Amino acid sequence: MINAISYACMGVGIVFWFWGTWPLVGHRSVLYKLHSLSVADTLGSMLIVVGLLLKIPREWPLLVLAILSLAIWNTVLGYVLAYCSSSRK
Amino acid sequence: MVDSYVYIITALLPLTAAMVVLQGNPYHALIIRGILGAVAALVYAVLGAADVALTEALVGTMLAITLYAVAVRSSLVVRLGVLQAVESQGFQAWVEGCRTVFSKHYMRLELVNYLNDEDLRQALNDKEVHAIYLPQHHTTEAVQDQALIRIPRLYEIMQAELTSPKTTLTCVTVADATEVKV
Amino acid sequence: MTIVLIAMILALAIPIYEACQDEDVWQKMLAFSSIASKTSIMILVISVLRNDWMIGVVGVLILSVGNAALMLMAHIIKRISD
Repeated sequence: MINAISYACMGVGIVFWFWGTWPLVGHRSVLYKLHSLSVADTLGSMLIVVGLLLKIPREWPLLVLAILSLAIWNTVLGYVLAYCSSSRK
Repeated sequence: MVDSYVYIITALLPLTAAMVVLQGNPYHALIIRGILGAVAALVYAVLGAADVALTEALVGTMLAITLYAVAVRSSLVVRLGVLQAVESQGFQAWVEGCRTVFSKHYMRLELVNYLNDEDLRQALNDKEVHAIYLPQHHTTEAVQDQALIRIPRLYEIMQAELTSPKTTLTCVTVADATEVKV
Repeated sequence: MTIVLIAMILALAIPIYEACQDEDVWQKMLAFSSIASKTSIMILVISVLRNDWMIGVVGVLILSVGNAALMLMAHIIKRISD
């Protein structure tokens, strides 16, 4: 049961990855790509780590740290990249 | 008993390395060097060398890229010595032309101000600047402004790509300083 | 589990291709940030697959520290393009 849920989490996470990464290929603006990348990519990564957490619950401190740093860093990084790329004159 | 995904992941390493080597623009090459660092850390982790992966991520990606960015930024710069008093229209246009030509070669132009003619020539002799711009003040219209350049490669680039009939370019050789200045 | 990993490698190939073909610096930076987080998640998955927690610790460390390089670089590139 738990095994199935963890595989489902990872599968959905990878679908999110593709969803977030696919817009990178087109000729859209940087901010559009940044939006899809930061939302879908971070969600996908977090889902994959949750899937791993269900698979091996005994190493939870490490995986929880991974989830937290993913959430915080990717948000901050999104802001920094948007600020740096749009303040050109 | 090597799994099939190990081969695919390992194949990414020469791919990204080739991308770094084939990249012409130094700043783009720096970013791709970061990508190479990330992929290399992944490959080392897959092959079981956790300590090497950690070192590659921290030193190879973080420290090396930061140091290289500073080095590239401070080395790809042309210092042009000018007189403070020069404000003419022709000079501004010439400087703009220089900027466009240099940016094609990923270089920046930096203007250094000097008070008078002797200081300007002295700076070129002391290798404080790479080139100087000498305006001709009290002469007839026919006399052209002059730019002295002490680096042959820079002279070749400017001679080939800069189209300004108002300014003559001259390549000069500056002897090496015999004593070290403090 | 191996299928999951191969799907992840395919997802990793998209930003690599993007970094190869796009000429804008910021698009390359986006591809770099995407690759950086993807590779560290892949390291975590591999550590679970092999039940090797030495690799897992390294993956988490890269995930939490490696992004600092990206921020430093974003600021340096911004200073350059000004």
